[in-house]
Amino acid sequence: MGRKILLVEDDRETATYLAKGLSQEGHSVEQATNGQDGLFRATDGTFDLVILDRMLPVLDGLSVLKALRAARIETPVLILSALASVGDRIEGLEHGSDDYLVKPFSFAELLARVNALLRRRESRIDPADHRLKVGDLEIDPLSRTVKRAGKKLDLKPREYLLLEYFARNEGRVVTRTMLLEQVWDYHFDPGTNVIDVHVSRLRRKLDDGFEKPLLHTVRGAGYMLAA
Amino acid sequence: MPTTLRIALLAGLLALLSNLAVIGFIYWRTHDEALTTVHRQVVEQGKVLSDMYRLGGAAALDDAVQDTITYGDPQTIAALLDPRGRQLIGNLAAISPPGGSLQEGYRNSLLRLKGQAATREAALMVHRLPNGQWLVSGRSVGDGLALRETLERSLLIGLVVAALLGLICGVILAQYVGQRIGNIAMVADRISGRDLSQRVPLSGTGDAFDRLGQQINAMLDRISRLMEELRILTDSLAHDLRTPVSRLRAAAHAAAESSNPAEQEELLAGVIRQADILMRILGAVLEISRSEALTGRNQFTWFDTRELADKLAEMYEPLAEEAGAALRYEKPHEPMLMFGHRQLLAQAVSNLIENAIRYGARGGEIAVGVKRSDEDHIRVEVSDRGPGIPSELRGEARRRFGRLDSSRSDEGAGLGLALAEAIAHLHEGQLLLEDNGPGLLTAIELPLRHGDASASLR
Repeated sequence: MGRKILLVEDDRETATYLAKGLSQEGHSVEQATNGQDGLFRATDGTFDLVILDRMLPVLDGLSVLKALRAARIETPVLILSALASVGDRIEGLEHGSDDYLVKPFSFAELLARVNALLRRRESRIDPADHRLKVGDLEIDPLSRTVKRAGKKLDLKPREYLLLEYFARNEGRVVTRTMLLEQVWDYHFDPGTNVIDVHVSRLRRKLDDGFEKPLLHTVRGAGYMLAA
Repeated sequence: MPTTLRIALLAGLLALLSNLAVIGFIYWRTHDEALTTVHRQVVEQGKVLSDMYRLGGAAALDDAVQDTITYGDPQTIAALLDPRGRQLIGNLAAISPPGGSLQEGYRNSLLRLKGQAATREAALMVHRLPNGQWLVSGRSVGDGLALRETLERSLLIGLVVAALLGLICGVILAQYVGQRIGNIAMVADRISGRDLSQRVPLSGTGDAFDRLGQQINAMLDRISRLMEELRILTDSLAHDLRTPVSRLRAAAHAAAESSNPAEQEELLAGVIRQADILMRILGAVLEISRSEALTGRNQFTWFDTRELADKLAEMYEPLAEEAGAALRYEKPHEPMLMFGHRQLLAQAVSNLIENAIRYGARGGEIAVGVKRSDEDHIRVEVSDRGPGIPSELRGEARRRFGRLDSSRSDEGAGLGLALAEAIAHLHEGQLLLEDNGPGLLTAIELPLRHGDASASLR
């Protein structure tokens, strides 16, 4: 499942660290150290994902992104930035990036997002069978019903959204910030474990009374739904 | 000193120019007036005499000329000359130009009267009579001229005096201004030499210099206050960062020393946790300074404040429950539209809710509410039934890193209310801390009209 990733990052240390980590995950990583070079390489369109630093020499990250989108290259782009502000995050997303990660970040967070973006690309929901299945769990996004081992689970709307997001990222780590962004559409870092409380409630409804748990905690990173 | 000199010269020059204008006007008016009067008199007199000839013939004219000389004032000139210019009757002693160049009409010329020594200037009217004789009448304006000359001399002297006085006034003025400004400059100088306690002395007259001084003093007050805040902030930041950093260092050190993989993993997880806390603190500090710098207004949008509160209440309800409090939200019926930064406001309100959960959950009840506080303001309120904050400590609670319990647990950096306040300010609103009797009521009050202004700014 190795994929082609273009890493545009001028900081040698970060670039080496990321390239090494992503290679270990089985991806092939190409590197560019400035915006112009990055844009040039990205325009050949053969990459599955571009990881783009926001502050780059010659041409900054947002300009590279704009140029890419203007050239109708729809490769998913993950922006890395030391600009932590919520406003900056939104700005990055508005310019057509698919995700936005603030430095410093943990590698686990980056990897979770990279995998989610790569996955988004490949997952074409089969129109014939729109249901999501994880082990004995069955989710119907149209009627918003959830069954486990044939038994209907009674979920609150937000719990359903959480579960659907988990299911769409089956087998991949989902971080707390990803949940906050995707399920609640909030781009700030709560000072409390508010997300964990929601996940543990969902987990109680999902896994209680079943022998095999589906919703796992990944230490130091987040959660994962897997059979 | 060059400035003083320049001001003095400028004042002198202005005095000179304005006096020149006034004096020039006076000269022009008097000169003109005098000549017009003489002209009129001379023409009139000439006409009367020539009428005499026309009505009464040569004899009547002779009498009239004689009468004019006898009874007229000393400036009066009247003479009858034969065709060759020799005087028949009259008070002329000598006329220049001589009689040969006699011509009809009005003119100024130099002449001497009988019984007088000096040649004078005179205005003359010359008529040629049908019998070939010349009738010369007029007025000597010598006396008027002398008066004018005296006047002109005085004006000229006045001009020089005025210029000198202007120069002196300028010097005095420049010295006064220079001194007042010098005081201010001296204070500024001492301040750049690091003594921020200096203030501009005020004369108490409330003049422009006093106002300048007041403004500078107000500016200095604000700067000192900001510097003090910054100092406290830096100190607290350093203090708050030291704890996680030293914990992080200890955990990393222990992990490096440990040979047991399971223990190592445990310790490294601790390293990550402490690093996360550091990142959260730094992120919040950055967010506050950005909100204070009012960046982010370009991301304002319209949204319904009810929905925002609704979503946050739903989000925090389980957390409050775990902490032992019921979180209630009563959604108003009508929409509460607001133009603002949705994400930042959500963060501000979530900070208030987290605060209530952290410090007020003991009271068993937390309420979130949105309402119109008056025509132009929306209020998002979070209230609890906990211990509350005594009014004298509320200022401290707003402060960055201000935490009322001195036991600084690693949860929360004490930035929550400071950030909420900064975000309220970004929206030209305010953060209110009130007594909930018992408990604390925190509210973000936002002006509704703000949206229009902002929209037009874009």
